[in-house]
Amino acid sequence: MSDLATALVFWPAVAIMLVTGVYVFRTASMARAGLLLLASLGIEGLVFLALASEFLGVLQLLMMSGEMVIMVFFMVMFMPDPGGLMGMDMTHDKRRSASLAVAVGIGLAVVAVLTDWPARVVGRDAPDVRAIGFEVMGRSMLTFLFAAMTILFAMVGGVLLAKHGGRFAQIGAAGKGEA
Amino acid sequence: MISLPVVLVAAGLMFAIGLYGVLGQTNTIMVMMGVELMLGAAMLNVVGFLRYSWPDATSGAFFVLILMTLMAVEAAVGFALVISAFRHSRTAEIDDMHELKG
Repeated sequence: MSDLATALVFWPAVAIMLVTGVYVFRTASMARAGLLLLASLGIEGLVFLALASEFLGVLQLLMMSGEMVIMVFFMVMFMPDPGGLMGMDMTHDKRRSASLAVAVGIGLAVVAVLTDWPARVVGRDAPDVRAIGFEVMGRSMLTFLFAAMTILFAMVGGVLLAKHGGRFAQIGAAGKGEA
Repeated sequence: MISLPVVLVAAGLMFAIGLYGVLGQTNTIMVMMGVELMLGAAMLNVVGFLRYSWPDATSGAFFVLILMTLMAVEAAVGFALVISAFRHSRTAEIDDMHELKG
């Protein structure tokens, strides 16, 4: 991808990613918030593509579309007002949170601009997906297996935590009984 | 022109937006969304470093894969905790979960 094409993809994508990220917490509708988060993280995949990481960009789009759709389902299940029609306010410490977030954002931006980062652009092309495949089957196999095992343990742990009448539900029932 | 600091500034702003969500929202799922944005910012950082500092390092892509795994794990365990808490106290609001005892 040429520098001009990269810039034409990168700047609008970053702008939309940040604006949709802000609107996740500005909308009153939970379903809309989930879809905005999907847009923000999905467009981040486009930013990855602009940064010559085709494999990671496509993976990000696939992962986030699946994950955020599940998140929207959970929101609709657990929100008292998923459509945002009752005008509920679901924020607290708005001013302090915003001040701290702005301070952190400015701090990170200043550090990013003022630090002398190592720059060593070798080529414009993306790393060969084939090379990534060989990397998976080679010395990074252990890392990949570790990620797979982590997901497996999270699935088992998640089911155990959410199970009706599980360990924590019993503690809750006992607490209610004492009261 | 796009350079490493530009990418890092974008990632920093995204992290700040996520932080605002984590600190300012009262609903557990909205807080999880903030965490997702913060992890997304971390991924953007790694991809920026991969592009502008070590473009020939294929193993660097695995840092991003680990972060994606972390996002999936955070969502799975987070939703399980929300279900457990909702079953117990009939709410997913963080302000109502101020006690660790039952």
